[in-house]
Amino acid sequence: MNQSNENDKLMDHDYDGIQELDNPLPGWWLMTFYLSIIFAIGYVMFYYVFGGPNSDQELAASMEKIELRRAAVAVTGGDEKDESVLVALTSDSTKIEAGQKEFLVKCMACHGNQGQGLIGPNLTDEYWIHGDGSITNIIAMVNTGVPEKGMPPWKDLIQPDMIENVALYIYSIKGTNPPGAKPPQGNKIE
Amino acid sequence: MSMENNQSRTVYDDDIVKKFIYAALIWGAAAFAVGLLAATQLAYWQANFNLEWLTFSRIRPLHTNAAIFAFGGNAIFAGIYHSSQRLLKTRLYSDSLSSIHFWGWQLIILAALITLPLGFSQSKEYAELEWPIDIAITVIWVIFAINFFGTIAVRRVKHLYVALWFYIATILTVAVLHVVNSIEIPVSYLQSYPVYAGVQDALVQWWYGHNAVAFFLTTPFLGLMYYYIPKAANRPIYSYRLSIVHFWSLVFIYIWAGPHHLLNSALPDWAQTLGMVFSIMLWAPSWGGMINGLLTLRGAWHKVRTDPIIKFLAVAVTFYGMSTFEGPLLSIKSVNSLAHYTDWIIGHVHGGTLGWNGFLTFGMIYYLVPKLWNTKLYSQRLANNHFWIGFFGILIYYISMWASGITQGLMWQSIDANGQLAYPDFVETVIKIVPLYYARAIGGSLFLIGFILMLINMWKTISLAPKGQDEQQVDMSNITMDEVAGTGHRKLESLGAVFTVLVFIAILVGSIIEIVPTLAIHKYLPDANKVRPYTPLEQAGRDIYVKEGCYTCHSQMIRKLDFDVIRYGEASKLEESMYDRPFQWGSKRTGPDLARVGGKYPDMWHYRHMIDPREITPKSIMPAYPWLDNKKLDYQILRRKLSVMKRLGVPYDDETVANADIIAEKESLELFNALLEQDPSLENIKDTQIIALISYLQSLGKK
Ligand code: HEC
Ligand code: HEC
Repeated sequence: MNQSNENDKLMDHDYDGIQELDNPLPGWWLMTFYLSIIFAIGYVMFYYVFGGPNSDQELAASMEKIELRRAAVAVTGGDEKDESVLVALTSDSTKIEAGQKEFLVKCMACHGNQGQGLIGPNLTDEYWIHGDGSITNIIAMVNTGVPEKGMPPWKDLIQPDMIENVALYIYSIKGTNPPGAKPPQGNKIE
Repeated sequence: MSMENNQSRTVYDDDIVKKFIYAALIWGAAAFAVGLLAATQLAYWQANFNLEWLTFSRIRPLHTNAAIFAFGGNAIFAGIYHSSQRLLKTRLYSDSLSSIHFWGWQLIILAALITLPLGFSQSKEYAELEWPIDIAITVIWVIFAINFFGTIAVRRVKHLYVALWFYIATILTVAVLHVVNSIEIPVSYLQSYPVYAGVQDALVQWWYGHNAVAFFLTTPFLGLMYYYIPKAANRPIYSYRLSIVHFWSLVFIYIWAGPHHLLNSALPDWAQTLGMVFSIMLWAPSWGGMINGLLTLRGAWHKVRTDPIIKFLAVAVTFYGMSTFEGPLLSIKSVNSLAHYTDWIIGHVHGGTLGWNGFLTFGMIYYLVPKLWNTKLYSQRLANNHFWIGFFGILIYYISMWASGITQGLMWQSIDANGQLAYPDFVETVIKIVPLYYARAIGGSLFLIGFILMLINMWKTISLAPKGQDEQQVDMSNITMDEVAGTGHRKLESLGAVFTVLVFIAILVGSIIEIVPTLAIHKYLPDANKVRPYTPLEQAGRDIYVKEGCYTCHSQMIRKLDFDVIRYGEASKLEESMYDRPFQWGSKRTGPDLARVGGKYPDMWHYRHMIDPREITPKSIMPAYPWLDNKKLDYQILRRKLSVMKRLGVPYDDETVANADIIAEKESLELFNALLEQDPSLENIKDTQIIALISYLQSLGKK
């Protein structure tokens, strides 16, 4: 806009020396305003007039998809290993080390840094509150937990592989009798 | 107005403007420094020096209050008082009111500075201050309003300039927001319960919180922009018509947008929908302000390179444009499901506060100080350096928070092919972003360093100014009120009272439509769904949670989103917070959601975690709360607390209220004995606050 053009647009407003021009509203700006209003109306119509889903229905639909995925895994991935296979795996030091690392992050708070027991029971002795201390049993236990007694269920929080590693690690520290071990709880398993 | 003709010379009260500028500079330094400390603590938790007064959850509210109300507030008052006198061609209505306004506001800030670190907090965002201070704010604000509207009444200019429209909207709406959101019943000198509970409190609070952004950080600054940009650039306003349209649309639409802070939550869908669509419609009205500001600079662009004042102002307006584009974007439900509770929001806020409010204030003060002290700026170079250092500080801040927010948001959302969370362990998602917290702290440091350059520059400018200047006299002899009133909007601009009433109506429409239906919502919950009220000990523990400000890091609202439900359990329901005064849905998940943490861990876990989080979760960035296990719990006051709750409609029977202290003591003893049995060294924690807190945490999601 050149100077003379601008002078034509000057209004007779003067506020402490501030003047104002009589420019029209920018067209593209007005267009975005109209579009946003049209969008707003369309959005409301979709959800409240044309029967769009409400938030509960939307949640239910997406949860259903996830449940389907989980169910598929439960059917195909149900390759439960035999206890003997698992025991053989205890010689795999990478698995034991990975298990120990995970144990130090997730389990140490309650079972101590060497499994000696703290809030939760000692995991190195031959006494078990639940089951017989077999690897299969430990895996099952870690998956379900005992929430009412303060042992969280880990099924959704740790990948199955890793739960297996942790269980192998726990199995491997049996009889280590670490310092400060918590007194036995549960039944003695020979 | 015959008086005017006799008094043809007027002296503007610039002394009060100077005072507010000093205050803005001093409190600004404090606000930025506390912000930097809080930022550092998220990277390196030890930076709280293990002092309860410096713990993140106590100083985060201090930072926000100081930045908004102390730095921002004083800056606004300085600019409004300076520009209004000139736009209305008269001295401020009353010198004593100006003075009470100034000192009263500083006392309020001082009170905040003392009470917040001590843990006297309502834990409602940007409304943390306790009831006596709330009352003081109301009184001082009313004094400000009388002074301002009084000045309009004695003006010598017929028409009100657009800057004044924005000031009117600010003063009126902030008063309404503050009063409505602060209705609370005291239980002691420094504690109170809001009359609203749960979803009502959430809605009212975010109606307030969002519009504090609108009417404390947007409209007054737009008003300042409309005065200082044309002044500094010596250019006419680009479009008068645009001013009118964007002013009214902004004021009318803004007030509706509050629920965009509660998207995907238990808030009823209709309110969320209103929040979202009005936020989207807000985009153009906001940009109207930016366009008018930037196009006013057209023809003065060459000054952007040379004049630091224009630099600050132009970049401020640009940041305003960015933030007001990002805001509507973040209000889209699907975008919000990613960004909400993450650092993206923190980045968004700081684009607005550091970029828009900060830089506009800096530009204004660089313009004002040489004028008011009748001198020249001490150093242009320092001011330019301030600009560049501050600018890069903001960029680093913004970018690191985007990266952090989006990274963590994606990690939270990510579900693997087996239908499991890819990052089930919350702390994993925290460790990932800690490096970005360091980067953010660097950005904040730069912003602060730039500001220190400004302080030096201002100090030098003022101390080198010629002494003993008389206040400027302005010749008013040929200024009259007999301009033609005009028609349409032009006429309205000459009718101050009518204009004010129309603004009032504009902000009431959205407020009433959203808030009123929500007030009755709990009545319509089926009886079978209603939960039991908190036991006395749980309520005591809840008050500790509120006092400590855990909401600064923890939400209590599991959204209706699959990944939230998988991680935290069933989506939160309205009735679960129906007795929560204040609501603690939260707005940030630096730590995990706690809505269903009850029963997840044993009591001993919580005890040890609160005393030293890293003993339980290595690498946690949660602060330790070691003082909780040596401070005794006040049982006595529970009777009063429960009776206030009962008066507010919580169904306690008389017996429970009368014996609240005894019941709590019994609950506490039971919990204590169980802990003692597991660890005999804990004999000293009997009757301490931590026991109440654990009892509260264990009740979450279990009622
Ligand atoms: C919040 C504390 C806590 C955490 C964390 C925790 N546990 Fe436990 N755990 C317990 C408690 C308490 C018990 C005892 C439950 C009972 O008494 O029935 C227990 C029991 C067990 C048992 C059965 C012991 C027995 O004697 O039968 C195993 C195995 C076990 N936990 C493994 C783990 C593993 C592996 C982890 C980490 C992935 C873990 N726990 C993490 C608290 C915890
Ligand atoms: C600086 C942010 C911060 C503050 C403030 C904070 N927390 Fe945390 N909180 C965290 C983080 C991060 C975690 C996750 C790591 C961990 O377990 O420590 C966490 C975890 C928790 C957990 C475990 C949640 C779970 O499901 O595993 C509880 C309970 C908790 N915090 C309670 C509190 C309470 C009560 C307060 C106030 C007294 C508080 N927090 C203050 C950051 C914070």
